[in-house]
Amino acid sequence: MNVSAHDHGCGTVAFDLYVRGEIPRAFDGSLVVATSRRAKDRTVFSRWHDAQADLMRLDLYPGRPGRICAHVLSVDSTAANLCGEFFQESKPRSSLGMNSGSKNDKADYAPNHVTQPNHGVNVAGSTVWVTNLLFGAPLEVDLASWMPRRVLRYVDLNETATRTTSTSHFAWSLDGRYAYFHQSLLEQASRKTLVRATDLRLIRIDTRTGAEHIWTLIAPPGDCALESSNFHSGFYFEHGGRRYVGLLRTGALLESLTAHTIPVDHYVAPMPLSTIWIAELVDEKAALQAWLLDGVTSNGLALSHLDVDAAGQDGFVLYANYKEAPVGEETHGKNIYGEPPADVVEHYPGMIVEALNYGTVMRYEWRGGKKSLKEFRRPYDPGQTALGHTWLPINIQLSSDKQRLFCTFSGLRPRLLSEHIAAAYPSRIAEQSDVSFVPPLLMRLNAATLEPDFGGDRNHLSYAEPVAMTVVGGDGADYVCTFSPELGLRIILGDDLRRLICHGQSPNLMHWRDSHFRPEPAHMEFVHR
Amino acid sequence: MEPSVEGPDFATKVRRAEEITHRLQTNHWKFATVPEMFAKATCDVVAKEIVTIHDGRVQTLYGRLVMKGIGSTFQLESPASALNVTLPGRPKLFDDINRQIGSRGLSDFEDFRKLPLPQEAEFFGQTMFYQVRDLVFWSALHECGLSPSGFEELAGHINRGEVVTSLLFKPSRSSKDLDSPVLALAHTCKQFPTPVVQWIPKPLFGGVARETLHIDTLLTEEPCQVSHPFLPLVADGIVVVDNRRYHMRRFAGTSPKDAVRGPGTGAEGPRQS
Repeated sequence: MNVSAHDHGCGTVAFDLYVRGEIPRAFDGSLVVATSRRAKDRTVFSRWHDAQADLMRLDLYPGRPGRICAHVLSVDSTAANLCGEFFQESKPRSSLGMNSGSKNDKADYAPNHVTQPNHGVNVAGSTVWVTNLLFGAPLEVDLASWMPRRVLRYVDLNETATRTTSTSHFAWSLDGRYAYFHQSLLEQASRKTLVRATDLRLIRIDTRTGAEHIWTLIAPPGDCALESSNFHSGFYFEHGGRRYVGLLRTGALLESLTAHTIPVDHYVAPMPLSTIWIAELVDEKAALQAWLLDGVTSNGLALSHLDVDAAGQDGFVLYANYKEAPVGEETHGKNIYGEPPADVVEHYPGMIVEALNYGTVMRYEWRGGKKSLKEFRRPYDPGQTALGHTWLPINIQLSSDKQRLFCTFSGLRPRLLSEHIAAAYPSRIAEQSDVSFVPPLLMRLNAATLEPDFGGDRNHLSYAEPVAMTVVGGDGADYVCTFSPELGLRIILGDDLRRLICHGQSPNLMHWRDSHFRPEPAHMEFVHR
Repeated sequence: MEPSVEGPDFATKVRRAEEITHRLQTNHWKFATVPEMFAKATCDVVAKEIVTIHDGRVQTLYGRLVMKGIGSTFQLESPASALNVTLPGRPKLFDDINRQIGSRGLSDFEDFRKLPLPQEAEFFGQTMFYQVRDLVFWSALHECGLSPSGFEELAGHINRGEVVTSLLFKPSRSSKDLDSPVLALAHTCKQFPTPVVQWIPKPLFGGVARETLHIDTLLTEEPCQVSHPFLPLVADGIVVVDNRRYHMRRFAGTSPKDAVRGPGTGAEGPRQS
């Protein structure tokens, strides 16, 4: 092993990690992570649009210590190498005879990213679909060659609708054969109006045959403000012999379709409360009328991630989290203490989600026609760290036996919370006296009660873990993987979150010439070999 | 921070520290049950110059640390490999390298030049903690306490098979408040086997300095492209150390700390009822 990376051409790099401990047999496969890379020079206003999306495939070979080989694919966001797919976007402003100060609303829409897959990972067999937090179309990547195949776009761009939004985390049929996700156009009639979704579609992909089915999606009567019609995650369930898809309507609001060119404070439109849309899947229909899942009474913002137990074909138990954070805003400008970014060394502007308050984990059960809701939310008390907290929940995943729920929480870096964003939520932001640093947390909950799954001697939690997480079962045990480029890959025993089984790291994960991975990746998925 | 007593009184102090440790452990390390364990001292590294020599098998880290604190005796805690050995620092090494590359080291930073001249100090009393209980017991015995978030961070390192090293330093002049903090300069060295370059983890905010003026110079026997997680590359070339040629990559800038709180926000402490 050495410290150098090897350029394989085609924008991919491969290198081995330094591995300590043992890679369990359950890990005979690959972990896939989507990352976002920015310039280290923080005096450069690095918008999320400017971030480079890199996709990492970590091939694991069980043993003591075993082997982990990383393959990094730098994605071309213009998808220029995937010819024939995208000529409607990406006209540079110069070719339109404009500069960035153009007042021509209709024409001021370029350049755009066709795909910027730096967030969600969806996998079926040898195919990976990687998605953005909010914008753009999923990128399909071949797992074996680690090369992009195509961009999944099912709506046609035009001069006012210059961008798309898609579900980051797909819904899957019970047998894993069909993937479901939403996609729609984003349009802005004028600079004085909020961005709104149009042409809402629900797409089904048959992962065996490649066949696709596209429905028009009609907003529920009680939730038809299309400015907030974006859906971070979806789930599938069956009930009474019928098939349904649920979509977490996250509700991010965008003041502008174009990226910030200068980091000025601006008006922030407060997000509405999140909802859940349900649509019955009927192949014969061209359009599906969605309705709102009732009884979701949380007062939470930004319903984001989920896991679902839909076994039994008689409803579901949904586990999901609310971030209590204005997702979709680019953090920049003065922070809540009035400090300018230049004085805040940990600050790097551009699409960092920073929480206003602690979030919520919810359990919604709909079985046998009965519905019930449980919620868990907790502030951080430094004097009682064993109780955990729910600041900025990210990942949520059930154990193999569905009895336990593993969650990661990103915590709070209060100096990264922008003043102009916080000002839009005066009634939701935590008391200034209560706001301090909150460390990231990995915690195990009891799936039935949603209470922390206290084991002997605090084995239910581990602080300062990376937030990217996945649970892998095998050998009669569950293992929790966490990953960040700086801290490396960790494999932890699910029964005892204090017990590290394996650690892989490499300086090549931490940087890429004069850029680094910011923010930390949020998600990863494991694929068996 | 030093025990300050001996004989029967010290034995009493040890028993007291053990009682605190036991109480905290049986309460799942909830500091609210043992409020006297909340950290009292405040100290931070305000500037550091690190030389990292990696020969492909072993990494040696030389540190020139400038620390700012309130108090009289200070502690520097850091996670380390279980195979780590702590060696004496090499003050001349930094000047030797800086001379070769035309740098004044930390004095290249305007902000550093504005600082008062630091007092020379020496690290002493090296201790290694192998389990969180050791860490808590030592902190109770020396009455310096711990911040719960810092404790959780260090506990994580221990759970992952690392140790926590502790070094003390005592400048000749002490300080009682933030208006006239102590500024001290000391040198240290760590060495451990590793086939890959391992950067020092981001330090935790100690209540005095929110960021660190930071120079990190990587020396390798073979050319490499290794970069720093958050500092930009400012120079590269060849330097000679101990009659050996090394490929040099220097990274410099202001590096962030973790666990930084906002201005006017107090340290973690017992919840006011």
